[in-house]
Amino acid sequence: MRGAVGAEGEDQLVSATADSPHDALRVGGGPLDELLRGSLDHCVKCTICETACPVAAVTPLFPGPKYVGPQAERFRVAREPVAEWSVDYCSGCGICSTVCPQGVKIAELNARARARLKRQRGVPLRDRIITRPTLLGRLGTPLAPLANAALASRPLRILAEKTLGVHRDAPLPRFAGWRFSRWARARGGTLSPARTGARRQIVYFHGCGTEYYEPWEGRRMVELLEHLGFEVLVPPQDCCGLPLQSSGLFPDARRAVLRLARSLAGPGGLAAAGEQTLIVGNATSCTLMLKREALEILGLAGNPELELVSQRTYDICELLLELHHRGELRTDLQPLEETVAYHAPCQQQGHGIGKPALELLALIPGLEVRELSARCCGIAGTYGLKAEKHQIALDAGRELFEQVERSGATSVACDSDTCRWQITRATGRPAHHPIDYLYRAWGLERSVARNGP
Amino acid sequence: MVGLECDLLVIGGGATGAGVAWDAALRGLEVVLVDRHDLASGTSGRFHGLLHSGARYAVKDPRAARECISENRVLRRVAADCIEDTGGLFVTTPWDDPAYADRLLEGCRQTGVDCEELAVGRALRQEPLLHPRIARALAVPDASIDVWKLVGALCRGAQQRGARVLPYHAVVAISRDGEEVRGARLRDARSGEELEVRARVTVNAAGAWAGQVAELAGIDSVRVLPGRGIMIAMAHRLVNTVVNRCKPPADGDIIVPIRTVSVIGTTDEHTEDPDDQRVPEQEVDALLDDGERLVPNLREARALRVWTGVRPLFEDAKAAATPTRDVTRAHALLEHSERDGVGGLITITGGKLTTFRLMAEETVDAACRALGEARPCTTATEPLPGSEEQHSYRLSERLGRKEGGLRERQVVCECELVSREQLEQQLARGGVASLDDLRRRLRLGMGPCQGGFCIYRATGILHEQGGITAAEADAALLEFLDERWKGSWPILYGDQLRQARLDEWIFQGVLDVAHLPA
Amino acid sequence: MSAAELGYDAVVIGAGTAGLTAACRLAEEGARVCVLAKGIGCTHLAAGTVDVLGYLPEAAAEPAPRQRPTGGPTAALVREPAAALPRLLAALPEHPYARTGRAALEEALAWLARTVLAGPLPGYRYLGGLERNRLLPTALGGLRPSALIPETFAAGDASALRRVAIVGSPALRDFHPRLCAENLRRTGVQARPLSVPLEFDRADASTLTLARRLDDRAFRARLCAELTPLLRDEEQVALPAALGLRDPHAVWSDLERRLGRAVFEIPTLPPSVPGMRLFEILSSALRRAGGRLALGAEVIGAQRRGARVHSVSVRAAGHERRYAAEVFVLASGGLASGAIELDSRWRASERVLGLALEGLPSAGERRFSPDYFGEHPFARVGVALGPQLWAREVENVLVAGAALPGALPWREGSGEGIALASGYRAAQLAIEAAGLARPARSPAGAVL
Repeated sequence: MRGAVGAEGEDQLVSATADSPHDALRVGGGPLDELLRGSLDHCVKCTICETACPVAAVTPLFPGPKYVGPQAERFRVAREPVAEWSVDYCSGCGICSTVCPQGVKIAELNARARARLKRQRGVPLRDRIITRPTLLGRLGTPLAPLANAALASRPLRILAEKTLGVHRDAPLPRFAGWRFSRWARARGGTLSPARTGARRQIVYFHGCGTEYYEPWEGRRMVELLEHLGFEVLVPPQDCCGLPLQSSGLFPDARRAVLRLARSLAGPGGLAAAGEQTLIVGNATSCTLMLKREALEILGLAGNPELELVSQRTYDICELLLELHHRGELRTDLQPLEETVAYHAPCQQQGHGIGKPALELLALIPGLEVRELSARCCGIAGTYGLKAEKHQIALDAGRELFEQVERSGATSVACDSDTCRWQITRATGRPAHHPIDYLYRAWGLERSVARNGP
Repeated sequence: MVGLECDLLVIGGGATGAGVAWDAALRGLEVVLVDRHDLASGTSGRFHGLLHSGARYAVKDPRAARECISENRVLRRVAADCIEDTGGLFVTTPWDDPAYADRLLEGCRQTGVDCEELAVGRALRQEPLLHPRIARALAVPDASIDVWKLVGALCRGAQQRGARVLPYHAVVAISRDGEEVRGARLRDARSGEELEVRARVTVNAAGAWAGQVAELAGIDSVRVLPGRGIMIAMAHRLVNTVVNRCKPPADGDIIVPIRTVSVIGTTDEHTEDPDDQRVPEQEVDALLDDGERLVPNLREARALRVWTGVRPLFEDAKAAATPTRDVTRAHALLEHSERDGVGGLITITGGKLTTFRLMAEETVDAACRALGEARPCTTATEPLPGSEEQHSYRLSERLGRKEGGLRERQVVCECELVSREQLEQQLARGGVASLDDLRRRLRLGMGPCQGGFCIYRATGILHEQGGITAAEADAALLEFLDERWKGSWPILYGDQLRQARLDEWIFQGVLDVAHLPA
Repeated sequence: MSAAELGYDAVVIGAGTAGLTAACRLAEEGARVCVLAKGIGCTHLAAGTVDVLGYLPEAAAEPAPRQRPTGGPTAALVREPAAALPRLLAALPEHPYARTGRAALEEALAWLARTVLAGPLPGYRYLGGLERNRLLPTALGGLRPSALIPETFAAGDASALRRVAIVGSPALRDFHPRLCAENLRRTGVQARPLSVPLEFDRADASTLTLARRLDDRAFRARLCAELTPLLRDEEQVALPAALGLRDPHAVWSDLERRLGRAVFEIPTLPPSVPGMRLFEILSSALRRAGGRLALGAEVIGAQRRGARVHSVSVRAAGHERRYAAEVFVLASGGLASGAIELDSRWRASERVLGLALEGLPSAGERRFSPDYFGEHPFARVGVALGPQLWAREVENVLVAGAALPGALPWREGSGEGIALASGYRAAQLAIEAAGLARPARSPAGAVL
């Protein structure tokens, strides 16, 4: 672009890590930003998004995605102060965008509006803390027993609610006490026997849920992938920034996701691997973040590392299903005589790939799967942890919890860790990632001690 | 026949006529204001909403430029509530001569229009959708003005001081007593009743129809050349600043952010008929192409609606072979006692909305002269009802107001955030004969869905509160569907076509409006 | 692994009534089906009735002077779809019903009735058929003909309606009982409006809000206690279409029992609660039959091999994914969904697979009439067809629903009929052509 250098001494293209002084919708420059706002043009007010919104269904504080998305967007002027508040009640689940027949990027518009709102109103301390699972994980892991006791202590939780605004009943995860990445590093190379010849490589994006709270899931992922013939690379990783983005802390979210992308693409990840190597993750919200949300919502399109990472990222069930369709998935699965209820998290639906977990679970003999039709468990990442939103989250998930009860299932399969914690808390049923069932059916289960590798 | 008496009869309820009524009422005159349709349904209600800074005229029409900047400043004070301080930009696109910007700067300097050159980078940050290769950018104090709000405020203010405002009263005859005009005979368009108004002075403020009104008085020397132009509203604000092309004024060189939309305008074709509402397809294409020069890929955005406005261009004894744009945009005050030997009649025509107050001032000055009374004008300092706080309009505040009453207010028109309360208030105020009247006052049905969702709701409320029968309500609904369609079908493509199809499903499918009871 | 493919027997594009019907039928016959949908479609927007033929287009009607609709049933009103269909097809031989054939229409209606009954909403059923249209009240108080209707609408049948209280609430913005009642009176029904508060915690509620409340028995009890003293002898009760989302049969029968009289619902603006029920029923049937549904999966193109479509490309979360199949059903909608688009230079195109269109106005002809109720030349556009429902340009694509040319569903009152019949027939044709029938698979687990 031509033109004189601006008075502020800046170049025209605002760099992705700085906030534009003018407009949250415009950061990063380029046609993708307007694609977002411009997508409001597609709205024909059909109300389909409103019918699917789990939050609008249960509280009048949130007028619905159509209202706070494309409708309100027409009234937002960059240079005028933010005049609204209800968009903060959007949980960021993204169901609206998934069901919109016209392609309006509703959830993305809402996320942007919320970020502007937060920037103007200020961000409560709580939102700065709970959105940093990496920080919490690093602090909590070495002191896991103490930290867990504190989180379980009713008086301390009540205090936390009053001071920080984290609801006393919020389903906070327990620190595992060991970190997945340490285990992976200590383990070194591939252990699994049998496969001779060149192994195909794959980069494993485990995310902070696996790293600090469910490291055994990471172990299962690695062993499962190796069982399928992959050599698994585990580059150093931190949070993908999704919780920061969901709370409207865009600059911090950008820093986090770019750091992650650099690592996944770097010498510990794609750069060390063969061409066309993929990145696979078991945290379905986080893989969606890398695939799409970071680019669209945070306006980071054009960042080469992130674009590369985005193109290579797969959700684990998505990957396994493709292998299956190519005839490359081992089908030597032993029977599991169980009844499982399957819930597809909102963000899993955001991938737009249907429910691959169902097709995979159908391969396990004897496993009876009940597909639950309710759309949302309510937790929406960190949304349901917040004191003022906790009840809304429970109300939003009620239909799902009732379906779990009626299903007669002994466990629930669900691709997202925060959803699993919410479901277990609300229904008392154990909840597992779908790959856990495959892992067992492939006979890979050994006693995995929960307090150590 | 019923009769009214007054000092001043004002024919024409657009900005000029309403401005005259306000001005005269402030001066203590008894005023009757009439319009054959609803207020501001003529040219005033059909333009793009630009409050000129005057820069547009600074090079070729310095008088107009001076008037504009002066009135711009006055109106920002007295009509703040109707005006949004968008600011304006003149940008040099790759199709424009960069040297024109210097002439514009010079012209502005000479005419007193504030004009500052900006770094292109800054202009692009301010308006990211502008053509990325603009060469120069000048900032001027253009603004956008809501003419219905303006006319509404002018009339309310006049009424508060005793004026009578009569929309839907057409002039069927002008009463002459020899060489003196004594008033007019009106017909109420709704009831058919006739009304005689006797006035000491009659003001012909009928804009593009001024010639027709003058003829009723037996005067055929008022030659108004209607200049028909189309404008297209894009469904959301592509820009938040008025954007002009930095070149000699021509077609399609402005984009105005007005309320929730941005309007591209305009074309200019001579027509014989001030009621000409044709929208020729080639003009639509040309306007979209022009718009793309300012905002690339404009054609990908959603075009909401297209309409015509007819400019009243006054030709004073000059054979026009040139396009009407070059005929003066300055206004003309015609005191017929001098021109035509007919007393008691003054015509005010030509001009542009930005200078309405000045036009009104000159008109009422002339009227006072005709009445032999010296009464000073105070419209330059007296704020209009609603503008007392001098708080100019901000679009996002409408969202704020809705948010302030999220649980207490029922929204009838979601696109434009029009509440049931507002609708009922307007109905209680009276003067609402159709849904289109409500549309003008409240923007009902003016958003992307073009009434798809709000027409049924508004009809129900109208039926309930408006004291009309179901048959009348049904007719109102059908009439409004017709009216919305008029501005829709010539521009129906892309997203708006999808909307129209959904709206058809709702009205002709679910509501089956084609088969309402006989 | 670039541009990996998932393979199915059949891929259906679009999750509206036509798409879901085709997919269900394919899955029921044993084919492996995947539905790819940009989003949810017409079900949530239409009334929830199945309109087969409500009005004969003028070409087929008895000669009558062409007039602006001022109201009232015209000569074009169809009372018996079964009898009127031949006249329709004689006048419009390219109409979608001509391509689906009458048998498919009849079977599709019967199939839907069975599917509703066997679906996740216990006891809920559809009534009616091709023999006679029922004239049902609209939210404006006019009467609209429908062939197959939910049981919850049935008591509104004008032929049996004598006295009715139209119940609404100030908070219910999408239903105006006074206007509805007064217009109904003009058709000879003794209707009167009744407004009750309905306990909303907000001033602005849609029928969906009410439907969720009505799913709660305690709410119903309170509502009936409030209504009962206000009702007159032998007066039926009409509510806006909100008689429950999860258990409409229970809601409706409970209300009838408590109030001691017939109750029915009247459809109004979207969101359509009866339409949402239909979506639940159809998607549940698809699940039970083992079919797959991917929402938020927009098909953006196809890979052709010769005259066949080998696979379609989907934009899913920024990635391109491909789905290959033997046969494809294009049920992507017409102009309303944007599957068929007109751009700003007045060029029309089919956006999903890039197929040719037919029914376009000729060069120089206006696209739309300035008269809102006039004949709009562009309105009948659709995907260009070969024989039956096959797309003309390629060998293995069938077209169903609003993407078909030659109809004006909202004027004819034929939208759902066309969707059902063409979805049903498309599945039949696909199975025959590609030999997809297999022994029926055991249902893939219960669905809740």
